[in-house]
Amino acid sequence: MKKKAYEIVDSVKQLEKAISRVKEAQRRFSQFSQEQVDRIFLAAATAANKARIPLAKLAVEETGMGIVEDKVIKNHYASEYIYNTYRDTKTCGVIAEDKAYGTKKIAEPIGVIAAVIPTTNPTSTAIFKALIALKTRNGIIISPHPRAKQSTIAAAKVVLEAAVAAGAPEDIIAWIDVPSLEMTNLVMAEADIILATGGPGMVKAAYSSGKPALGVGAGNTPAIIDETADVVLAVNSIIHSKTFDNGMICASEQSTIVHKNIYDKVKHEFAARGCHFLTAEEKEKVGKTILINGALNAKIVGQSACKIAELAGVKVPEGTKILIGETDSTDLSEEFAHEKLSPVLAMYKAKDIQDAFSKAEQLIADGGYGHTSSIYLDVKTQQDKLEEFQSRMKTCRILVNTPSSQGGIGDIYNFRLTPSLTLGCGSWGGNSVSENVGVKHLLNIKTVAERRENMLWFRAPQKVYLKRGCLPVALDELKTVMDKKRAFVVTDQFLYENGFAKPIIDKLDEMGIASAAFFDVAPDPTLACAKAGAEQMRAFKPDTIIALGGGSAMDAAKIMWVLYEHPDADFMDMAMRFMDIRKRVYTFPKMGEKAYFIAIPTSAGTGSEVTPFAVITDEKSGVKYPLADYELLPNMAIVDPDLQMTAPKGLTSASGIDAVTHALEAYASMMATDYTDGLALRALKIIFEYLPRAYDNGEKDPEAREKMANAATMAGMAFANAFLGVSHSLAHKLGAYHHIPHGIANALVIEDVLRFNAAEVPAKMGTFPQYAHPHTLARYAEVADYLGLGGKTDKQKLENLIKAIRELRHKIGIKDTIADYGISEKDFLATLDEMTENAFDDQCTGANPRYPLMSELKQIYLNAYYGKTFTEKEYPKEV
Amino acid sequence: MKLDNIIAERINKTIYRDGNKCIKVFDESYSKADVLNEALNHARVEETGLNIPELSEVTRINGKWAIVSQFIEGENLADLIAADPAKYDEYLNMFVDLQLEIQSKRSPLLSQLKDKMNRKIDLTDLDETTKYDLHTRLTSAPDHSKLCHGDYNTSNIIITPDGTPYVLDWAHATQGNASADAARTYLLFCLSGNIAGADKYLDLFCQKSGTAKKYVQSWMPIVAASQSVKKNCKEKEILLRWVNVVDYE
Repeated sequence: MKKKAYEIVDSVKQLEKAISRVKEAQRRFSQFSQEQVDRIFLAAATAANKARIPLAKLAVEETGMGIVEDKVIKNHYASEYIYNTYRDTKTCGVIAEDKAYGTKKIAEPIGVIAAVIPTTNPTSTAIFKALIALKTRNGIIISPHPRAKQSTIAAAKVVLEAAVAAGAPEDIIAWIDVPSLEMTNLVMAEADIILATGGPGMVKAAYSSGKPALGVGAGNTPAIIDETADVVLAVNSIIHSKTFDNGMICASEQSTIVHKNIYDKVKHEFAARGCHFLTAEEKEKVGKTILINGALNAKIVGQSACKIAELAGVKVPEGTKILIGETDSTDLSEEFAHEKLSPVLAMYKAKDIQDAFSKAEQLIADGGYGHTSSIYLDVKTQQDKLEEFQSRMKTCRILVNTPSSQGGIGDIYNFRLTPSLTLGCGSWGGNSVSENVGVKHLLNIKTVAERRENMLWFRAPQKVYLKRGCLPVALDELKTVMDKKRAFVVTDQFLYENGFAKPIIDKLDEMGIASAAFFDVAPDPTLACAKAGAEQMRAFKPDTIIALGGGSAMDAAKIMWVLYEHPDADFMDMAMRFMDIRKRVYTFPKMGEKAYFIAIPTSAGTGSEVTPFAVITDEKSGVKYPLADYELLPNMAIVDPDLQMTAPKGLTSASGIDAVTHALEAYASMMATDYTDGLALRALKIIFEYLPRAYDNGEKDPEAREKMANAATMAGMAFANAFLGVSHSLAHKLGAYHHIPHGIANALVIEDVLRFNAAEVPAKMGTFPQYAHPHTLARYAEVADYLGLGGKTDKQKLENLIKAIRELRHKIGIKDTIADYGISEKDFLATLDEMTENAFDDQCTGANPRYPLMSELKQIYLNAYYGKTFTEKEYPKEV
Repeated sequence: MKLDNIIAERINKTIYRDGNKCIKVFDESYSKADVLNEALNHARVEETGLNIPELSEVTRINGKWAIVSQFIEGENLADLIAADPAKYDEYLNMFVDLQLEIQSKRSPLLSQLKDKMNRKIDLTDLDETTKYDLHTRLTSAPDHSKLCHGDYNTSNIIITPDGTPYVLDWAHATQGNASADAARTYLLFCLSGNIAGADKYLDLFCQKSGTAKKYVQSWMPIVAASQSVKKNCKEKEILLRWVNVVDYE
């Protein structure tokens, strides 16, 4: 075959030319298809494989280190194993696609790789790096070590020529012919990534080049032989590994730590297999020979045991495999505790396995952080020991019953340890990777992610029973269907004393279900109240909890339920704000394992009978814990209007207007769905028609009461799934700071919130994939249309809606401003900033279609106080 | 200035005393730039406030360049140790403390130690591969800026009758890595044949400065290479032995 002539790279100028040739070649190569690349990869691997013997000979001849036959294995491995591992790996273009999730992974080459090649594996590492560069469509410039330049370049040529013959661009691989530090630094500075295998100096230079670098660290592999180990296997594995290429693999064992119970046996086996145990005097001589001022004598690297003995002036039999120095010091002043890159091994006697672990840890700290450790034991019976070993060793490869040289490079003595001749040592070893380096480190992976909308849901209590007089019928199931034995009723004093609980307790008695009642729930229920109730529950051990009342009683009962089922639950954790209820950090405890939960509302508004929400106040700190999780959803809701007939006017109006805001906010929410929309619209229609009647006529208008009972529960279902918005955020804090009833507080801000949310150019819109653009004005217009309020444009419709709300409010006796409720200006302004920030941080803010600025919320508060109207700030308009 | 009282003679230079002046006269073969550089180094170090002789003049005497500085009355530490070996530990302690004090100073305009070492490596007779390894080793060292004497040994320290130590000869001063300076001092001990003293010095330096011995040792091939530039046959074997080492790969 005709030898191709290459331009000699022996100066910075020549190197610059070579770099630009490789860059140009890589530009073309980056367009190659997977099929083209795989053809080139196969051809290059095949050629390297065929050249394994001449390259091995050349390496030993040039460097004077190592063993030809073992270097043949390394070359063979670098071509065959690397090819085998990556033959089917996709490295070009789209390598993965998930149509359902709308994502794609696309592999792109990085560009030009600067490859620093060591003297210890000058041909195999060159083959390895060149092959993975070709597989990933990268160019590569090889910087050989001057001591091994001919063999490294020869290996690179073999790979290049085969690759080019198979269609690769010429110049896709280049090298420095006459290496100098200046040129190596130039290559590193010019490359897109550096694969630095070499001494620490070279790795540091790579890391300080400013380019991404994959470096390796020093190894000082300890091999523990536990008393349960198969001694013959252990000793012969260590000999096999330590003698491999005269100990030049960085993962090779540097010391063996032997359990005292088998020490003699191990020693005998080493001796019987041709290893020489050094006498104290010999050990001293060898120690002084292998190490000079703490550094390895260049003359002993990769030499045979006999040669090293001779240099040290020690006589050993011909064919001696390893020189073993017995010692008990793991201190760096002990020469044998260092990495030796030669068939010289330290041997320690451990008094027990803990002592062995400690010694291994120290040896790793001495000079092998992040590299490799190894242990021999009976894996069937000694998993505990292995677990402790693997947790204590700060090494990225932990090998079990395996010769570490051949084991650490992967895929020969094990499965799924990536085959590689560049072994990352993690941050412990000062490296950017902790794995065996492979093709994945030489690719830029682009992820294409199409917009997708989140999964939404509709959840409601398993059973919702409604209709006048349904209470006893619904409760019947407790006996007939569920066979319940003990029911606990939670209510407030007023309801209890006025006989509201009586029909429930009578019915329970009739069914033979034991009952108890807690009737101390006050408005804004406290943790102390909930704890007291839960205490009684723990004593009574109910299998059913029946909450009877308005929002306070139902919320208090929900909290008692939590405390009854999970006494240790932490309210701070449960109340943690979330962005997405399905991604929240805290996993709410599982409810319903002790008791079935029934909610029976006595007013029309709160919706708590069908919602997963509850608010509780810590009376000591004054902190309100709003809890939200579908675990809090009642199992059964009984909506019996008979229980709501006698509700006083104030309660009727405050809870009725609360239901209006539930429906309006659920409709405008970013999480609104067709399911919640239907409920919200229908609820609004009913409320606008029947709330004034229920307010005016009370129990004289059972139809209005029944309609309102249903509307409130429907609005509850809507916001139980679509959630709420800033009206509730603002109302929560207004209630907390100034004790305005919840429904009234909502009524005072809702009109301004509608204007605020309807902005077509909001300062910021809400973040949710379903919410494509600010469209809340149109949503409110839909509400106005459904209510038949008229209006030609969306803006008119919005104004009509606001007007209708105001009229409704007036009809049911709700005043216009916060000031009207007797809050002094001074008190209001003194709390304004704090209220604003807390309202901003309220859980309800998250679903609002407009993401509010704090200044905007503050303005709404001020408007609600003084009776002003929200006006948008000027924004730029371009036509 | 009277040049009749010779107090020391070195290759290429003669040192005289004239009253309270010390006159270092350089041979004609000496580069003018080197003389001026030595004077400049000295002046820069004087500014750090260390106890060193005051430089008073750079002049030419009979056509030869000369540096005139304050004569420090006292005894040289090497002589003191030789005269009273029982006080070795005490003197060594002072010797290390003084070196640490020097290294605590900064002199931002002095040459960089790493630059100097790189130049020296290039000037050696070592083969290209060894030079490549030495350059790599040097490049990977961190960049420090501590004042380094460059030839810190006991004969360069004068103790005045009141016990105040003065450090002389700042010709080789640089800014850089304290460990390199310590490695150089260790080498000077070894080259003088005092191996036990060298080890004792190194242990004490590492202990007092909180430096890992490994780190000081990493400079030894470099300081050995730089010393080999002097081409002293007697030193050749030990220096080559020190230089011919490798790191892991």
